Amino acid sequence: MKIRTIKYFIRQSFSSLWRNKAMSVAAVSSVFAALLVIGIFLTVVLNIDYLATRLESQVEIKVYVNDGLSIEVINAMNKDIRELSGVKDSTFLSKEKALEDFTEQLGEDSNLLDGLEEDNPLADSFIVTLDDPRMASNVTTAISAMSNVENVVYGKEELEKLLNITYLLRVGSLTIVVILVLISIFIISNTIKLTVFARRKEIGIMKYVGATDGFVKGPFFAEGILMGLLGSIVSITIICIGYHFGIHYIKQQSLGFISITLLPISSVFYNLSFSLVLIGIIIGSLGSLISIRKFLRV
Amino acid sequence: MIEMINVSKKFGDGFRALHNVSIKIENGEFVFLVGQSGAGKSTLIKLLLKEISADSGSIIINNKDISKLKRREIPYLRRNIGVVFQDFRLLQDKTVYENVAFAMEVIEAPAKDIRRKVPIILSLVGLSKKSDLYPHQLSGGEQQRVSLARAMVNGPSILIADEPTGNLDPDTSWEIMKNLNEINHRGTTVLMATHAKDIVDSMKKRVIEIEEGKVIRDEKRGGYEI
Repeated sequence: MKIRTIKYFIRQSFSSLWRNKAMSVAAVSSVFAALLVIGIFLTVVLNIDYLATRLESQVEIKVYVNDGLSIEVINAMNKDIRELSGVKDSTFLSKEKALEDFTEQLGEDSNLLDGLEEDNPLADSFIVTLDDPRMASNVTTAISAMSNVENVVYGKEELEKLLNITYLLRVGSLTIVVILVLISIFIISNTIKLTVFARRKEIGIMKYVGATDGFVKGPFFAEGILMGLLGSIVSITIICIGYHFGIHYIKQQSLGFISITLLPISSVFYNLSFSLVLIGIIIGSLGSLISIRKFLRV
Repeated sequence: MIEMINVSKKFGDGFRALHNVSIKIENGEFVFLVGQSGAGKSTLIKLLLKEISADSGSIIINNKDISKLKRREIPYLRRNIGVVFQDFRLLQDKTVYENVAFAMEVIEAPAKDIRRKVPIILSLVGLSKKSDLYPHQLSGGEQQRVSLARAMVNGPSILIADEPTGNLDPDTSWEIMKNLNEINHRGTTVLMATHAKDIVDSMKKRVIEIEEGKVIRDEKRGGYEI
């Protein structure tokens, strides 16, 4: 396709957008409304996903080992564990350090542990973190097979529950986004149909003088994309402003011991602007193509 | 050259619009197509433009059988056939110049060609001075001349006029006929569907009459009759 033709399409789409101001505002508003809902939804999903990833990364495997291993054996074991696939890191926790930590955790009640320094009932262990929590059971099996390992513990049931919940959240949110996109395409195609209808005479003449289907569609396609872009820019702006104040508000609220960590606005902006612009373009272009199809049969 | 061989067309409701029509029009001919409303004139024109397809028979335009044309080839057929209608079909928000230039723009003609050809064609139909006016500022005859200019600007070898004088008074109609005659003299084949008895009678051109979907008369230098 010639550059001149593409320029013509873009020029036409702008002038058509301007000429049918009321209709264009209606179409952009419906793209905006759809993208606002999708965007808010995505923001929530992004944050839940972020939370889930954080929780998942906190999943760790405790590997209790036999008492009294030499430092060489411990280092060798640590190295072996680290080399297992799916393992992010492994640190050795001596039983003395474990007791210290425990004492610290108990705080005022730490006197319960008085005297245990002499006869420490805890065991030496490795704390293993994972790249992917789904690898937990494989890693556990592999570690269990190593010598000097007494017991391997990880919150299997809790982990599986968490994985199920995050999976459901991801699939569910994707489904809802797809449904919203389909509804928006329907709304936009109906709005653009009005623009196309207003220009059906022009389309008829174009067809009679021998314009190709692609040439007739071009300006509407460009117009759809333009509307999608405008709608997405407005919705991204509003969501980001809202999020900025939202974060501020939530931070100010004292929620007791529950600490809610939200994604920083910059990462919301990057994720959101890419998806919303893309969805906006898809909605706009599909909507316009669907609406013009019928008018091409001349 | 236009040739229709045993062409039939029925519509969905069973109405037989054309039945076994065979016509041959040589290059450079001027042909009137007459017949009462509903006789099949419009159907014949729509078939030539491939707006609809024939049920049977073949239609050959410039040595190409258009019944076998693919959908994406239709635009290229139409670039070789200029059309004017009774209702002019001009774009009201474009000037005379823009209306004519539009026909070139949409077939992606170079801007240089557009600037060169549009004034020439406008002077040919006598509208050079009105090129910046809008259709609503023109008389009916002038509007039809704009649509003639638009039909001719891409240099088609065939011009189809569907009742071009239907909305015009007799004097203006004659103006349009002069334009059509001139276009014909320059080598374009003209096929004009019409109800204008006095025009057909005095032009002494070939007349093809259709009745109930059949050709009932084809005279070299005919009159309107019916």
